[in-house]
Amino acid sequence: MSTGAFVLRRLGVSTLQLLALALAVFFLIRALPADPVARLVGQNPTPEAYASAKRSIGLDEPVTTQLGRYLGVASGSSGILQGDLGRSWVSGAPVGKEIRDALPITIELVTIAFALAFLLSVPIGMMCAVKPGGAADRSAFAYSLFAGSQPEFWWGLLFVYVFFSVLNVVPPPLGRLDPMLTPPPSVTGFITIDSILAGRWDALADGLQHLALPVLTKVFVLSGPIIKMVRQNMVRVLQSDFVLYARAAGLPPTRIARYALRSALAPAIALFGALYGYILGGAVVIETIFSLGGIGQYAVRSILSFDYPAIQATILVITAISLFVYLLLDIVHAVVDPRVTH
Amino acid sequence: MRGWVGRVVGGGLALGAVAGTPAVAQQQSVLFLAEDVPTSLNYDGPAASIGTTQTGFINLMEPMVYYPYAGTGEDGVRLLDFTRYEGRLVERWEYDAASLTWTMHLRRGVRSCAGNEFTAEDVLYTFARAKSVSGKAPVAWFLANVGGVKGFTRDVFKDPEAKKLGDEVTKVDDYTVRITQSAPNAFLLMAMTIYGMAPFDSKEMKAHAKPDDPWSHDYVNTENVPAFGPYCLERWVKDDEFVVKANPNYYRGKPAVERVVMKKIPQSANRLVTLRSGRAQLTQRLTAKEFASLRNTSGVKVVGVYGNETLFLAPNWKVPPFDNVKLRQAMAYAVNYGQAADIGYAGAAKRWESHIPSSFPGYARPDQQYAYDPEKAKALLAEAGYPGGKGLEAFADQFKLAYTAERESYLGPIAAVIQTSLKAVGFPVVLDPIPQTQIGDRRLVKKDLPLSISDTDKASAISGAYQLMVFYISNGAGAIINTSNYANPEVDGLFAKIKAETDQTKQTEMLKAVQDILQRDLAIIPILETKTQYATSAKLSGVTWHADNSIRFFDLSLVP
Repeated sequence: MSTGAFVLRRLGVSTLQLLALALAVFFLIRALPADPVARLVGQNPTPEAYASAKRSIGLDEPVTTQLGRYLGVASGSSGILQGDLGRSWVSGAPVGKEIRDALPITIELVTIAFALAFLLSVPIGMMCAVKPGGAADRSAFAYSLFAGSQPEFWWGLLFVYVFFSVLNVVPPPLGRLDPMLTPPPSVTGFITIDSILAGRWDALADGLQHLALPVLTKVFVLSGPIIKMVRQNMVRVLQSDFVLYARAAGLPPTRIARYALRSALAPAIALFGALYGYILGGAVVIETIFSLGGIGQYAVRSILSFDYPAIQATILVITAISLFVYLLLDIVHAVVDPRVTH
Repeated sequence: MRGWVGRVVGGGLALGAVAGTPAVAQQQSVLFLAEDVPTSLNYDGPAASIGTTQTGFINLMEPMVYYPYAGTGEDGVRLLDFTRYEGRLVERWEYDAASLTWTMHLRRGVRSCAGNEFTAEDVLYTFARAKSVSGKAPVAWFLANVGGVKGFTRDVFKDPEAKKLGDEVTKVDDYTVRITQSAPNAFLLMAMTIYGMAPFDSKEMKAHAKPDDPWSHDYVNTENVPAFGPYCLERWVKDDEFVVKANPNYYRGKPAVERVVMKKIPQSANRLVTLRSGRAQLTQRLTAKEFASLRNTSGVKVVGVYGNETLFLAPNWKVPPFDNVKLRQAMAYAVNYGQAADIGYAGAAKRWESHIPSSFPGYARPDQQYAYDPEKAKALLAEAGYPGGKGLEAFADQFKLAYTAERESYLGPIAAVIQTSLKAVGFPVVLDPIPQTQIGDRRLVKKDLPLSISDTDKASAISGAYQLMVFYISNGAGAIINTSNYANPEVDGLFAKIKAETDQTKQTEMLKAVQDILQRDLAIIPILETKTQYATSAKLSGVTWHADNSIRFFDLSLVP
C-alpha cells in the first residue's frame, strides 16, 4: 500500500470515528439525570416560563428532530455538517467562537510542554540506556519515581508556592498575560505567535514568563514516563542482533546509536500520540491552577452547566485533534518503519 | 530576585534578554480577582443568576431607584439604608393611590457610554423588553410582576398580544413616565432597585437588533450592554477577563478608580497569594480560613458584614417523616451550631435566630429558640414517635443530606458537623453531595429533595417582606425558592396584607407575627448567619455591601 492510500484509509476511518462519537455524545448527555432548562430559566419559573425556555433551546422537540438539527440535515437547519457547532446555552455566544478562543491556550501549553519534554527526555533516556545501572540511569530512575509519585496539581501548587510565593522569580498564576497588560491583537489566538506578528515584544516576554510554570509542571510530570520508555527501548535495541552485527562490523558508536534510536523511537511515537490526546483532554487541572482559560476549563464549565451544544462541540473538537495527531504520528511511524504500510 | 533568576526561570523558555516587568498602566487601576468573569451581560439571559455575571452588568448599568449610604459597619464595610429610597435615573416620584399610578420624573442630562441622553424612551423600551419575555430567564418581567405593574402577568407566556407593552407604562413627556399597578403593592420601588430593572440605552440597543432577535439578546449576551452606568466596557474575554473603564459622562461624577480589571482566577489559594503579594487589590469568595489567614497580613485588610448570607437545613414538608413538626424541632435542637460556625466559617458566623436575617428591616427575634440541646432533641424525637431514632431506618433515602458537590470544600465540613450532630441523637443521616445542575433542578424546580443544606440562597432585596415571599409563602401563592415546600395559609394571608401595606410600622408588626409562626413550625431550620467578606489591598477603601453581594466599582477609591 502506498503512503497516500494509507493516509486516505486512515482519514476515512477517522471520519467514521468522529461521526460515531458525535452520535454517542448526543444521546449520552441526554440520558444524564439533569435538566438543563432549570438552570437556564433561573429560580421559581412559572410553568409557562419553563416551557418558554425549553422551547427556546429546542428541547421541546422530539430527539430525532434535535439530532437532525445538530447534524444539520433537518430542513432549514445548520449543524456540524455545515461546520456550525451551535450557540452556547449559558453564554448565548457561538460555540465555535468560544472554542477558537480557548483552544489555542491549551494547544500552546501542551505542544510546548510536549516538545520540551521530548527534547529533554530522549537524550536522557539514551544516556541511561548506554550504561544501565550507571549514575545517569540511577538518577533518572529516582527522578521518574519522584515526579510520578505525586499528582500533577500538587506539583503545580508546589511550584507556585516555591517559585512565586517564596522566590518570587515568576509572575503570579494569573493566566497567559499580566492582567494589566493590553494583549496583542488576536490573529491566531496563540499569544506567542500573535505577539511576534504584532511586534509586541513586551507581551511575548510576559507571555513566556506566564507560561513558564505551567510548562515546567507539565514537563516535570511528562518526562518521567518518556525517559523510561526511551531507555527501555534503547536497552532492548542495543542488545539486538543488528546492533551486535554493526559493532562487529566496526561501525562508529555514533552511527550505531543513530540506528538504535530509529528503532527505539517507533514505540515512543505511539506513546507520544496517546499522551498528547490524554493531556489535551485532561489539561483542566493545569489550566485551573494557573488560571489559563483553555479548552479544559471550557469543557468542565460546559459539563457542569449541562450546556449541550458546548459539550458536544468540545468533545468533538478534542477528539478531532487527537485523531489528527494520531494520523500525523501514523504517517511519521510509516516513514520511520516502512513495514507499517505493508 | 526577579533579575537574572527571573530571566532564567520565568523567561527561560526564550527571550531571556527581553524578559522583565512589562509596561503596564497601573495608575488608578484596580485588579479584581474573581472566581469567574461575566458569562453574559444580559440580566434576562441564562447566566443572570450567577454572581460574577451580575457583577458585570451591574457596573455597566444604573438603577432607576436605589438606597442611600448609611455609614460604615463595625467590620469596615460601608452599608446602605434599606428602609429609604433615593432617586437615581428616576430623580423623584409621586404616587396616586386612587389610580394606582406612579409618576416618575427622570433625571435630565444623564448620558450613556455611547453619549445618548437618558429619556422616557429608554424606560419604555426597558419595560417593553421585559414584557416580551424574549430572554431565557425572564428576570425583568418577574420583577415588574413582583412590583404589581399592570399587565405583567403570566398571560405573557401564553398570549402573544399580552407580550406587548400597553398603557401600563406611558410617556408623559421626554422626562416623565407613568407606571400603573394592578393592585395596591408596596414592592414596586424595591423591585426597581434590583439590577433586573435597570434601563438600557434604547438607541444603541435598537441599533444592534436583528430580525430574528429584535430585543438584541445576542448582542448583550456576547458583546456589550449599552446603558447609563458608571463604567463602560473596554475588553471582555469570556472565561478570562472583563475590563471596564470609567464612564466620563456618568451623572454622579467620574468614578475614582479609572479602570478595573476583573480577572478569572478559579483557585481561591491563587487569589490569596496574589493579593498577599500586592499585585491585586481586591478579591471575594475565599474560604473562611483563607480570610482568617489574611486578617494579620500587612498590606491587606479583610472587611465583612452580616448581610443576607445564611446557612440553613431544609427538610421537605411534603416528604415523611419531615412533615412531623416535633421531629423537625428535634433536629433543630440536635444541631451543634457553635461547631458548625467554627469549623465551617472560622468563626465568621453567628446563630441565625429567626427565619429572616437580622440585618433586614422587619427582623424580629422570636421567643421560641432552639439552642443546641441533644437531650431535649432526644426527648422530642421520642415524642415524635421515634425513640432513639427507632423506626427512622425505614426512611433511609429521606435522610440523605444533599448539598452542592462543587462546594465540597465549603459545605463538606459543615455537612459533616450536621451529620455527626444528628446521628448522635438518632437520625440516620448520610451525606449526599450532588452536582450543581442536579441540585438546582431538584431544589428549585422539582422541589423533591428530602433533606438539603444550602448557603447560597438569598433574597436579592433587603426586606423582611421580600424574604417572606422568596422562601416561606406557599409555592401556590408564588414563593420563589421555598425548597422545603412549607405551606401555611395563615402565613400566606399575612403576606398578602404585608404586600399591600405601605405603613412600615404595621408591616413590621405583621412580620413579627409571621416570624413567630415560622419559628414554631420551622419552615426551614435556620442554622447560621454568615459574614459576607472581602479581602482588599490596604490602599483600597469604599467596599460597600449591596443586596446582590456584587461589588460596585464606583464605591471604591484607591490611595496612590
